Amino acid sequence: MIPHLPSVTITGIGSVSPHGPLAGLIPLSPLEPTAISAWTTTGHRRAFLVPPFRPADVVPGVKTRRLDRLSVWALIAASLAIKDAGIDLTQVDRSRVAVVFATAFGCVELTEAFYLSAAANGWNQTDPITFPETLASAPASHVSMFHSLRGPNITVSNKYFSGECAMIQAAGLLRHGQADIAIIIAGDALARSTYSWYEEAGLLSPACYHLDPFVEADGFIPSEGVAALVLEPSGRGDVQSSGRSYARMRSGYWAAGGNSAERIGQMLGGSVPSLIICSGNGAPCAISPTADLARESADDGAIVIRAQSFAQGLAGTGALFHLIFGLSSKPSGSSASGPVLLLGTARDNGFAALLLELP
Amino acid sequence: MTGVGVVSPYGIGLDRLQAGMLSGKCCLSPTKDLYSGFEGSTAQVLELPPLAEDISSRYSRTDQLAVMAAQDAIANSGCDSSAFRESGIMMASTVGGLTEIDAGIAKDPAAWYRRPGGLSRAASYPFAHVADAVGEHFGIRGPRCAISVACASGAMSIALAANMLLDGSARIVLAGGCDPLCPFTLSGFNSLRALDPDPCSPFDQNRKGTNLGEGSAVLILETLAGATARNANVLAVLRGWAMTNDAFHPTAPHKEGNGLADCIRLSMEMAEVSVDDIGYVNAHGTGTPLNDSAEANAYETAFRGRSRPIPVSSTKSYFGHCLGAAGALEAAITIMASRSGTLIPTLRLTNPIESPGVDWLRGEVKRQPLPLAMSASSGFGGSNTVLIFGSGPS
Repeated sequence: MIPHLPSVTITGIGSVSPHGPLAGLIPLSPLEPTAISAWTTTGHRRAFLVPPFRPADVVPGVKTRRLDRLSVWALIAASLAIKDAGIDLTQVDRSRVAVVFATAFGCVELTEAFYLSAAANGWNQTDPITFPETLASAPASHVSMFHSLRGPNITVSNKYFSGECAMIQAAGLLRHGQADIAIIIAGDALARSTYSWYEEAGLLSPACYHLDPFVEADGFIPSEGVAALVLEPSGRGDVQSSGRSYARMRSGYWAAGGNSAERIGQMLGGSVPSLIICSGNGAPCAISPTADLARESADDGAIVIRAQSFAQGLAGTGALFHLIFGLSSKPSGSSASGPVLLLGTARDNGFAALLLELP
Repeated sequence: MTGVGVVSPYGIGLDRLQAGMLSGKCCLSPTKDLYSGFEGSTAQVLELPPLAEDISSRYSRTDQLAVMAAQDAIANSGCDSSAFRESGIMMASTVGGLTEIDAGIAKDPAAWYRRPGGLSRAASYPFAHVADAVGEHFGIRGPRCAISVACASGAMSIALAANMLLDGSARIVLAGGCDPLCPFTLSGFNSLRALDPDPCSPFDQNRKGTNLGEGSAVLILETLAGATARNANVLAVLRGWAMTNDAFHPTAPHKEGNGLADCIRLSMEMAEVSVDDIGYVNAHGTGTPLNDSAEANAYETAFRGRSRPIPVSSTKSYFGHCLGAAGALEAAITIMASRSGTLIPTLRLTNPIESPGVDWLRGEVKRQPLPLAMSASSGFGGSNTVLIFGSGPS
């Protein structure tokens, strides 16, 4: 049972990534992992890291002192997406604007800090300002507070498909009349405890250890960053944005198992995707089950855009970046005018698929 | 709603919760051993049956609470777990796997992970793991999602599950919340001076704060058409739901309760009911000075024009604030109240907040027909969720 519901349109994009804070699509340029310096490592370690920047230089008036970096980036990415959509929030009923945030680890840096303060001073002497900032929902709350957005405010997570799940939940809010605009935000900050877990579990790519130019290999390179999309109902006369459409989202489905090809076939309803954006989490598209599923879902003429290494390094929250990179790299012209499939698979037979149309 | 599963300080099952609350038993008791230096009142789940060893080593206490409540809900539905193979899961938690880790993971993570079971215990840290635990344990492979929106989490999981049914993403969804007691959250609430050392007194003018409890609740949701078609026992009908945000402060609610009042209004609009149709509100009612006064203001605003004061109680006075589980447990209590026509009073409410539009329930349990009942939840970061339950198909 795959529902076909009224489509919704992506009208704005913002991000904070190793490319820095950006509004709109991310220019395609080579990206090298950089050396970790935020904590002491036993030898050279690399990851795709967000370079330091002053938030107030990007979003005037924003106050980010004592916030987790994840909260800061969510606030900046959302603000850039709203700006990119051309939305003047003073002209919008802000009780009708929803925020849907996806994260795997939440505010893990301040969680580490809270633990360390408890170890140093005792559990009876912990910091009352830090504690609420450790909540996984804190980034979404800050977006709502800064922009006075009083619609639904939701923080979701899924082992592999947090970003896709957030997009589907946000689309549902619009379709069911629970919001007029949805800001979708997804991402994570890389903390010492997370990186170390990947390393001890043997999941890291050799490229994390070497200074050599990056070569794609087994394992993955951990990443950090946050992407944001503005979503509005399609085809309405009273849209709040400048009217730009990056893509329309027709339907979406994700599951922890089952017959993925059959489900996606139902979703496509006989149409054939001209473009498939692989959001394979963890393994390069070419060797992951995503490639097989893509072949089953499309004919030979479909263009397949492989997952970007940076977006793969975000554990389950990379879907928005996969989509942004896919839109940035889509071929121009009629060859990509058919349906677009954002497609991901997980090692345990789970999958996520979003069916989009390009304008 | 075709199934309700509960793990509470009263034990496992809605029946035990109902019997305990109707008898007026309070589960809050003095606690000292949750961390060195802590003295206060909490409500603990003391009878959590052990899972198989290979499972318990991978599941946090949060996961185990979720699995137990889901098991109870499935049993309560009269189906075996195979009936839920394609179902969706929407589970809420704020604590996740914080119960399994300690400061050592921040001091020297590599050494911590090399301890026996370290990697496995840490793998349960993301709050998404509670949804995975329920899915894996029962072989459920439909859409699976976890949510975390502070203390509104459990209620919001039910609202989002209802959205999934509307979407057609699943025919049946298991939704709920789970959270255990742990030093991290207890210390956090203590640092905020939000805890009453004695059993709390929600909505009392002399209230001093909240107490933390632990538990879980899982509800089985399906469309009324689907439930009717398979002759399921319909326990209640979710008639309306809404979600809003105060957009005001990281921890404090809006003083006038504007966000919650809007949420109540939106839920009644969805249910197509008037202010006079709601017979009872199971309040968020934490017992903190700020929450309870804001909440009273919200009820005054939202139920303005009603012919008689709206009956309101806080059942946190019985077993504390179960954080991410609270909204789901209170949904279960609201369903129980609606089905049995019982208005459960707030304990220790001797001098209620002055609020002429509210009938603060206290003293004896009242019995009256309750066709429609509401459950209200709020949380840090300004999230609000309101659910309206009817006692059966209409």
